[in-house]
Amino acid sequence: MKTISKKLLFLLLLLPLSVLAQSTVNGVVTDKASGQPLPGVNVIIKGTTKGTTTDFDGKYMLSNVNSGEVIEFSYVGFTSQDVPYTSQKTINISLEEETAKLDEVVLVGYGTVKKKDATGSVTQVSAKDFNKGANVTAENLLNGKVAGVTINTSGAPGSGSEIRIRGGSSLLASNDPLIIIDGLPISNSGNQGSTSILSSINPNDIESMTILKDASATAIYGSRASNGVIIINTKRGSKTLQVEYNFQYGTGNTDGEIDVFSGNEYRDLLIGTFDDQGNQITQGIGNAQQIALLGDANTNWQKAIYRRTDFVDNNLSIKGNLFGAIPTRLSVGNTYQEGLRLTNAFTRNSVSLNLSPSMFKDHLKFRVSANYTNQRNRFADGVEGSAIRFDPTQPIYDENSPYDGFFEYFNPNLPGNPFLNPSPANPVAQLLQTNDRGVNNRLFGNFEVDYKFHFLPELRAVVNLGYDRSDGERTRFRSRNARSGFLNDNISQGTRFSEENLRTNKLLDFYLVYNKQFGKLNFEGTAGYSYQKFENEGFAGFDAADPTQVRRAFVDTDVVLLGYFGRANLNLSDKYLLTLTYRRDGTSRFGPENRWGNFPSVAFAWKIKDDFFKDSTILSDLKFRAGWGITGQQDIAQATFSQQIYNVGDPNSQYTIGGQPINVGVPSAFGPIKWEETATYNIGLDYGFAENRLNGSLDLFYKLSNDLFQTAPFADGSNFSNQGPQNVGDMSTKGVEFSLNYDVVKTENLNWNIGFNATKFERRIEKIALGSPLFVGQSGAGTGGTSQILQEGFTPFSFFVYKQLYDESGAPIEGAFADLNNDGIINGDDRYIYKNPDPDLLLGFTSNLNYKNFDFSFNLRASIGNRVLNGVESTRSYYTLIQNGVLENISTNVLNTNFQNQNGENVLSDMFVENASFLRMDFATIGYTFPEWLGGKASLRLFTGVQNAFVISKYGGLDPEVTGGFDNTIYPRQRQFLFGANVKF
Amino acid sequence: MKKIKIKIFFFLSIAFLMQSCEDDLNVIPEDPNQLSVDEFYAQEGAYKQAIAGVYGNLSLTGTLGAGSSNIGGIDAGTSQYGRVLWYMQNLSTDEVIWSYENDPGTREIQRNIWNSSNPIILGMFSRAMFQVALANEFLRQSTPELLSSRGISDASTLSEIEEYRNEARALRALSYYHLMDLFGKAAFNTENDAVGVAGPEYNRAQLFEFIESELVEVLPNLKAPRTNESGRLDQAFARMILAKLYLNAEVYIGENRYTECADQCSAIISSGYSLATNYLNNFNADNDTSPEAIFYVQSDGVVTQNFGPTTVMINGQVGSLEGNGSQFGVGGWGGALRLRKQFVQKFDGEDFDNDVRNTIISGVREIEISDVANRDQGFILAKYSNISSTGIAGISTTFVDADFPMFRLADVYLMYAECAVRGAGSASLSQALTYVNALRERANNGSQSANISQGDLNLDFLIDERSRELHWEGHRRQDLIRFNKYTGGEYNWAWKGNGSNGVSISSNLKLYPIPIASLASNPNLTQNPGY
Repeated sequence: MKTISKKLLFLLLLLPLSVLAQSTVNGVVTDKASGQPLPGVNVIIKGTTKGTTTDFDGKYMLSNVNSGEVIEFSYVGFTSQDVPYTSQKTINISLEEETAKLDEVVLVGYGTVKKKDATGSVTQVSAKDFNKGANVTAENLLNGKVAGVTINTSGAPGSGSEIRIRGGSSLLASNDPLIIIDGLPISNSGNQGSTSILSSINPNDIESMTILKDASATAIYGSRASNGVIIINTKRGSKTLQVEYNFQYGTGNTDGEIDVFSGNEYRDLLIGTFDDQGNQITQGIGNAQQIALLGDANTNWQKAIYRRTDFVDNNLSIKGNLFGAIPTRLSVGNTYQEGLRLTNAFTRNSVSLNLSPSMFKDHLKFRVSANYTNQRNRFADGVEGSAIRFDPTQPIYDENSPYDGFFEYFNPNLPGNPFLNPSPANPVAQLLQTNDRGVNNRLFGNFEVDYKFHFLPELRAVVNLGYDRSDGERTRFRSRNARSGFLNDNISQGTRFSEENLRTNKLLDFYLVYNKQFGKLNFEGTAGYSYQKFENEGFAGFDAADPTQVRRAFVDTDVVLLGYFGRANLNLSDKYLLTLTYRRDGTSRFGPENRWGNFPSVAFAWKIKDDFFKDSTILSDLKFRAGWGITGQQDIAQATFSQQIYNVGDPNSQYTIGGQPINVGVPSAFGPIKWEETATYNIGLDYGFAENRLNGSLDLFYKLSNDLFQTAPFADGSNFSNQGPQNVGDMSTKGVEFSLNYDVVKTENLNWNIGFNATKFERRIEKIALGSPLFVGQSGAGTGGTSQILQEGFTPFSFFVYKQLYDESGAPIEGAFADLNNDGIINGDDRYIYKNPDPDLLLGFTSNLNYKNFDFSFNLRASIGNRVLNGVESTRSYYTLIQNGVLENISTNVLNTNFQNQNGENVLSDMFVENASFLRMDFATIGYTFPEWLGGKASLRLFTGVQNAFVISKYGGLDPEVTGGFDNTIYPRQRQFLFGANVKF
Repeated sequence: MKKIKIKIFFFLSIAFLMQSCEDDLNVIPEDPNQLSVDEFYAQEGAYKQAIAGVYGNLSLTGTLGAGSSNIGGIDAGTSQYGRVLWYMQNLSTDEVIWSYENDPGTREIQRNIWNSSNPIILGMFSRAMFQVALANEFLRQSTPELLSSRGISDASTLSEIEEYRNEARALRALSYYHLMDLFGKAAFNTENDAVGVAGPEYNRAQLFEFIESELVEVLPNLKAPRTNESGRLDQAFARMILAKLYLNAEVYIGENRYTECADQCSAIISSGYSLATNYLNNFNADNDTSPEAIFYVQSDGVVTQNFGPTTVMINGQVGSLEGNGSQFGVGGWGGALRLRKQFVQKFDGEDFDNDVRNTIISGVREIEISDVANRDQGFILAKYSNISSTGIAGISTTFVDADFPMFRLADVYLMYAECAVRGAGSASLSQALTYVNALRERANNGSQSANISQGDLNLDFLIDERSRELHWEGHRRQDLIRFNKYTGGEYNWAWKGNGSNGVSISSNLKLYPIPIASLASNPNLTQNPGY
């Protein structure tokens, strides 16, 4: 690695900056949009073979040009320009990017297709269209950009996201899409020490992300494609040398707080309020004993656990042609992002190398992509729950405290200063006294050989080998002065926790591609084979401070996936397109009898424009698409449910016989399980007007998932559990997606482009095991309480609550619920299904404005009709919660409810299910480009912006964007102000 | 030609490669703690591990510690066998109240307003039926044919496995006894059914007959009382289930079987058990050594961690005001368990001033519980402890060392006495009086001051004395039903039927409903009346 970078540097030094000659034409070719020089532009005298290309600075020199000849400037992705030569000394040209994106090549499984020939629902977003701003993880480059894709990211730096394409297709199996990096499908399981799967990729290294949505596009990935596919393609080397350096700095802060009582308000709540004469105005709710427990401080615990954050991102990339033969890209990145929680920070160091040499006149192409990421995290577990309940009249620090000077509730009169039980732990101390660190080293990449047969050039053979190895560990230390450590008899013993694991993922793909024109028919056939193996082993979490725990090694059962696939693309007269795909997949998760699944798809497209509107100047594109296909899902937690296994008890799960503890041997439940299958129907229209200045798509889809995995009951006594995964559920999803891209203004100095997309979808459970509903989700109170339901005929995870009764003034009556079954008793039988967390409508909007050298971009994202059960209010809006041993804070919503007691019914009142519709701006940036910086040797763009600019919502909690529908406090998303520079040499 | 040969070779080798890769789909577990059936039984001592698994299901909820569970539909820790049993037998009665009614199912159980979707009821039915499945699996895996095919021919090993088989049958009978008592019916599965087959419904009489015949058959082959390895059952265990069966035969099958009950009691009593000198030694961290232990369900702070009844009771005993965790060697759960007034009143009167069984702490507390969520109301108990008889606290302050006293000698004494009072031919009233007073003397440190006379020995006395002696030990609901004091309005206690002073409840509540999920998954099962 080091030598390669040295060689690149050497090349850079040798490179002539410019070459001048007399009596010839020369000039600079720049990108019209950015004003930056374009290297590698072909400058050719039309009708001859004479020509040259622009150098690294966009400069060219062409000699022996005769007057009257036409010079053509062409560059891939840009509109070519012809300039007649009339003895000019200098011709400077600015090339404009092609707006007609129809020639754009999009990635599909095991190949590419021209966008205009695509038959499925495929959206590709390339680097220049990515979301701007501070995007630490790759998926945020896309948020709000693509119809039908929702991305919900936690506020923790580098954290993962819940990504859903068309709402997902499963109930209890994974709903995560298949993510493929340079042809290597990656596991969706996170690793120790790392924050998330996609946090290992430097977003600066990504060239494009392609979303495959319908089955005709995804079926080639068979068993893993039901939830859609995201193909990530990394940047490659180029023929010319380019160096780019990006720098970003950001600083962030919290945006709002959960409403609880302040110190003064809390004292007033307990004691009551008095006027200047000492006459009581309002009555306090506290008794004498509680009032005596009040402190004098005024602590805002939510402020105390957060901080202003720093964010620094550096990225250097060098692209060039190593030894004149190997297009190479080397990129080095460093990202440091602090989280809002006092100690939380994410650090990523990444190196990425991409080599793409070709030989024998491009008959043999290689591609090597190697990425190494070292991630160092300091984690901070959630303390929001403690912060909103800790007594606001107590101080953060207490100089008499033996616990490193932090205020804690303890008994100073007993040896060891034991903590009061019950009492909460100081949330600031929990953060500052915990050293929770993770390290993850990940190496991933692929090696691809693409050979075009010499004796049969229509045939190509491709071999792709992929490898992903992730080695992580996490340690957590607390001293004995930390209350949050392991407690023995209420005396802290500290924490010495560790866990580690090693994941590997190996891939072999081999396929043949045959492409030939037969008269008006173009045929492309692909046939191949894929083998992939996932392994995971390590040591389970273990706290050495707890003498009852024992360190235990684990090895996950390997998951092996094997597939045979084929595809035929038929293109008749460049008007009628037919795609047929087929994949046969086997998985080690199932027994031999159910192991293999078949996944076919058919798609048809018709370029209507060419048949009916051939001469229209307004309509520039109209294509109709229709597709059907079957995809699968096999990603369940149990790797060996089809076979009977004996589990041996761990050291804490033994039974003592004759004084000798024996690790129990217990059979596990097993049964025949097979694939989930999802049939997808999709029809779509791609349209373009005015040379595609206005273009977009409209898609209608219907998905029916059969044999969904469900944890369904087994007849008691017949198996080795009362429940287990079974293929019993059906679910349907129907939806509409609309997207539009419009160059509103397109002039020399002013360009304004907007993008808009809208998605509406509805999920419904069609069938559930034995027709009996499943209770899921959490209620936030009690051990194992649930608030949601899976029920036939309803949207999954609908809320299952009690119907609150109100008095004449509209105030809720505590404990009064509708007796929906009229049996005179309010119990579980009176719960009903009320709303669900799915949105009715999702909207996305982006705007990019360029005026001369200024640029201004922002996005907006809206979700309408999604509901959230406000868990903070449902569990904390009760007066009696002011004391649990010591005093505790409660939600100010108690002033609205006037409820006294938290109990199993009140926390499930339907009044806590709130409309959480929102409009959010993820980013807005403004920049200025100096195209001729350093005397024209470089270009420089300076920009500033705001991340998470605002969110507008009537939702009563902190943030309406909650995963799963239950808001039990979240890691808040910070609002960041950014400054950055982008330099290109 | 040569090219073609090369091509053929190329494609053949690819085909071969693909075929060999298909074999990779046959994965086997690699984890040291996950084994295929054959691998497992090929190990040395596998059958001991397997029978430990059957016994262990009374203590453990899963194989990966206290938070793991091999059944679902209920919180993992709550699904512990003894805990759900304790909830159903004790929490539904006058002896105790659980403060955290948010814990799903607890409110309905302790207020007698449950329905068939209650997770605790599901937990009991499923956990007991899981025990049946484990016992059946052991019997299937230890047939002479399989043993010989696995190359086990050593005579002492074979006879040991034969003992385990008999114990597995007795354990299965225990679970069917619990199911019969609580639900009045169960799915009937034996080792002759293949895995996956939903068993037919057996009603109370059928289950009674099966349990009785099974135990009678297996009893002679079990080890004599107190001669087996610790942790394993013996003849007294089987006799105890038989005695319970006969004692409640009027409830179960409408037959008077008190004579047979008294016979079983006498057989147990004469087999070498003796009362622990200190009553409380039956409930502390080393209670497994108590001489009156017939069968205690294991719990250990290190090797047998579970959220079972002793962990719940000891942590739950710790008062919200008192914070007296160190008294019991645990951290405590902030006042989870309190006493209902009617139980406290069982110790009213001078007879009980020095009764060590009266561990009630009243402090500044009021006796009434007007608000279940208010943990400062109601008296609390100090019966169980994670501190040993020699004063040493258990190593863990959450998971206790105290075992759950499922069957102990004092219960047998009182059962015998009850049989005598109910006219069993084989029991004498004078012997009954001796047994009752033996318990009284033990409770009063050897003093006879609280002894009763023959005239005091009647059914009303016995139902209360059983509660004084055996409270929080998983007997109360069964006892109240046998004495006709559970349903109806003759005897009410705080929060019975959801009234703060207690109200009459319907007689159908003597049986719990079959859980809705169990009904759905086994079409042979029918619901109990009134649900």
